[in-house]
Amino acid sequence: MIETDTMQLHKLVEEALPELDTMIGWAAGEDALHTTPIFIRGAKSIPRLIWSPFCAQNLTGYLVKPPALKPADKHKQIGICVKGCDSRSLVALIQEKFITRDRLRIFGIPCRGTVDWRKVMRQVRLSHVRSAKVEDNRLIVDDAGGTHKLNLEDVLARKCLRCLYPNPVVYDVLVGEPTVSRIKPEDIYRDVDALEKRPLEERLAFWQSELDRCMRCYACRNACPLCVCQEHCIAETRDPKWLTLRMGIPEKFLFHFIHAMHLAGRCTECGECERVCPMEIPVTLMKEKLNKIMEEMLGYVAGLDPTAIPPLLTFNPSETGV
Amino acid sequence: MRVNKFLNNPYLPELATVQEIIQETANIRTLRVSLDDKEKMSEFSFRPGQVGQLSVFGAGESTFVINSPPTRKDYLQFSVMRVGEVTQRIHQLNAGDQIGLRAPLGKGFQYEDMKGHDILFIGGGIGMAPLRTLLLFMIDNRRDYGDIMVLYGARSPQDLCYTYEFQEWKAGGVNLVLTVDSEFPGWKERVGFVPTVLSEESPSPHNRIAVVCGPPIMIKFVLFGLKELGFEDRQILTTLEKRMKCGIGICGRCNIGSQYVCLDGPVFSYEQITGMAQEL
Amino acid sequence: MAGKIFIAIDRLTLALDKLSAKIDLWIPASLQTDNRELTEFVPYHAGMVPILDRQTTLPPKKILLPQVETLLRFEHRKDPQNPLKVSVSLDDKSEVRPALVFGARPCDVKGFLTLDRVFTNGPYVDPYYLERRRNTLFATLVCLQADGTCFCSSVGSGPADTEGSDFRVIPVDGGYVVDALTQKAQSLIDSLGDTPTQHQEAQARQVVEEASQHRVGDLDLTGSAEAFRKRFANDDYWQEMTAQCLSCGICTYVCPTCYCFTITDEIENMRGERLRSWDSCMFYQYTLEASGHNPRPSKLNRYRNRAGHKFSYIPEKYDGLIGCCGCGRCIRSCPVSIDIRQIVGRLKENACESE
Repeated sequence: MIETDTMQLHKLVEEALPELDTMIGWAAGEDALHTTPIFIRGAKSIPRLIWSPFCAQNLTGYLVKPPALKPADKHKQIGICVKGCDSRSLVALIQEKFITRDRLRIFGIPCRGTVDWRKVMRQVRLSHVRSAKVEDNRLIVDDAGGTHKLNLEDVLARKCLRCLYPNPVVYDVLVGEPTVSRIKPEDIYRDVDALEKRPLEERLAFWQSELDRCMRCYACRNACPLCVCQEHCIAETRDPKWLTLRMGIPEKFLFHFIHAMHLAGRCTECGECERVCPMEIPVTLMKEKLNKIMEEMLGYVAGLDPTAIPPLLTFNPSETGV
Repeated sequence: MRVNKFLNNPYLPELATVQEIIQETANIRTLRVSLDDKEKMSEFSFRPGQVGQLSVFGAGESTFVINSPPTRKDYLQFSVMRVGEVTQRIHQLNAGDQIGLRAPLGKGFQYEDMKGHDILFIGGGIGMAPLRTLLLFMIDNRRDYGDIMVLYGARSPQDLCYTYEFQEWKAGGVNLVLTVDSEFPGWKERVGFVPTVLSEESPSPHNRIAVVCGPPIMIKFVLFGLKELGFEDRQILTTLEKRMKCGIGICGRCNIGSQYVCLDGPVFSYEQITGMAQEL
Repeated sequence: MAGKIFIAIDRLTLALDKLSAKIDLWIPASLQTDNRELTEFVPYHAGMVPILDRQTTLPPKKILLPQVETLLRFEHRKDPQNPLKVSVSLDDKSEVRPALVFGARPCDVKGFLTLDRVFTNGPYVDPYYLERRRNTLFATLVCLQADGTCFCSSVGSGPADTEGSDFRVIPVDGGYVVDALTQKAQSLIDSLGDTPTQHQEAQARQVVEEASQHRVGDLDLTGSAEAFRKRFANDDYWQEMTAQCLSCGICTYVCPTCYCFTITDEIENMRGERLRSWDSCMFYQYTLEASGHNPRPSKLNRYRNRAGHKFSYIPEKYDGLIGCCGCGRCIRSCPVSIDIRQIVGRLKENACESE
């Protein structure tokens, strides 16, 4: 139950807080369909913490993006709330030694999916949203126009509909009851497969028209917890100069595919890139395709085993699948 | 050739040709350029301290103070340190090459208010460049100014610029104090960091204006030194540097609070600086 | 002057067709066909249906300030008599066609008022922007769709604001009453619709009246410029306000009053262009100097500068004009729901509290 989960979360955080330098979680955003990350240091802010199907943000990026959180006190940990998908990002960050496991107090939250507010707006033009909640597989939203009831599966984020890991794969404490996946393992690449069935010309046309909308705002890159080139991104360096500042398809293709290649075998499909894109480009699809290749050729799935090394970061002489 | 659709297009550079190149140090070069349009060149007027945006077409534009004084207009001089994309290309230019120039931009020194005062120039390395324009201007108008002292330092004798002019400065009535950070064979002038030599020289703040330019660390300690000697903020001038693009107060990036370095600067007094948003 | 017409909803595309024969037309529309929430201003083609029931995701800013534009072209030429001598030729020719933006909202047009001051009222005038501005007309809706994140009234605009517009488009039963406000508008309005009936005129008046009274957003910005200055050095405040920021730049791209740009040269062999393209003060590279020094190294500095620019520096430079149009796009598009109303609103609160 969402409400009891939130209360349980408050209690657990309150207990842990003396040992934590910072607690990262979600708080209410500008309306009931949105949340905002919150960084808690004192107990009085705990009531602002929430857990709901609107907690879309992957909070793990804050552990590594500048200025990365660094507890002043070596003996204190950083507390962080993670859904299933987010926990895989943590595993990836631990694998690559961006963070160490012992510095984290992980509050893992089994998740039944997060709501994509754009999908909601496509069904109902909401104005002045007053409240929103999920009940019995339905989203119930109250706004200036009244009460609207929508099928949950119609408004969940695309990544949630194909999620195989709704339960955190790493955690110190579990908040709420474990849950089951909505999808069968053999179906998780169905979006990629649907695209692959189309002839080459159609696929090219698809990506050309999708990427044409790209504004090179780099939100997808900045939202990605694993995108580590930070201020030296090829999209922006002038020495060497990889891309012009033109808004042409070649430039956008180059940026997006290099970004995807840098994530091959590392991307945990947390979906943030696609969620943040203001132009609604399905950017996670590119990474899903590369991950599918990783899984098929090398039997590797990102973000599951903290002791594993992503295939493109290592060399194994006995590899035969390549 | 220059086809100009818009009257007064402040983004369109004038074409200019490099007349002469002087290799000042390992990574600093001085360019002497003159506008291709002879009439514009003879009419060109500017104040010491104003800057120009120099274009190497294909690489981009970079901002430099017009290094020569308005009293000597055979050419316009710019001293360039090689640090990035554009300055790299500038260092590859030869005499006869064409460049673009958008100048003069910004506010220069308020030299009218400096008349009748003693002047103390404190420069470090390439920091001597913006000081040179005002220094030569004052030498050319020597009677308007009192005592002129130049304290100029660099890491080593090889890092000093304008060495070929030092005699001329002295002959122009300037007390020139040169220093390098440590001993070097053959070096007969002072040894020590600029702030240290400043304390040793101990110039009086009375009726004196200090004009300071150099690396941030030098400026920081020179400032302490000047305050210790009794200089007030309004007596200390400097030129600020920021990444610049349009140079005309439109693109938004060179701001310090509500001031634009390209429009309201680059010359600022410390009194002005302490009143600005602190994000230098 | 009596420049009013009524266009019925089912005759709107016909009117737009007629208009587009006289002038390049832009309308708010959905990008591509499938299933997207995304809307922006696009060039009109026959038969297109404008989306007039919501604020567009992207503002019409790019019509007057394109995301990428060529400031000048240069060409290197070798002297055939002396191959070592290379000369440069420059040209800044550009073509601007008259255009009309149909279906903008007061907040969109208010955004241009800030751009107008910056690009045309300073000591230097930007001729590229000016020429586009002079040749572009705006037919602005009376806005009845303000939602929870809008706050146009707080910044000196409002749902019935027509400052900077050439037409006012008033939604009434069954269609729109379109009022030509300027000379240029007058000359375009003929034969686009019928003379409004008395009832339609009365309804239009009422709609305008109610919209003018309607206060959108309750943010009070009086004294904010001063409060910002006092608050500038309070790092704890800015740390708290910007902790969630990703420095992604979305806010600056969707904002009607953000105009910061960069200028870069792109060259292929002997020919090239000097481009002006949108930049963002939220990017690290924005103020990065060649020496490696960066006066705004962290997102705290950068966000503080953004807030200051809109709510303190622009008002200081331009007689109190607020550099924000209250459209709320930054709030809606922000992936981490940073709310600029909160950040600027609390400036004053804290300024009053004793530390």
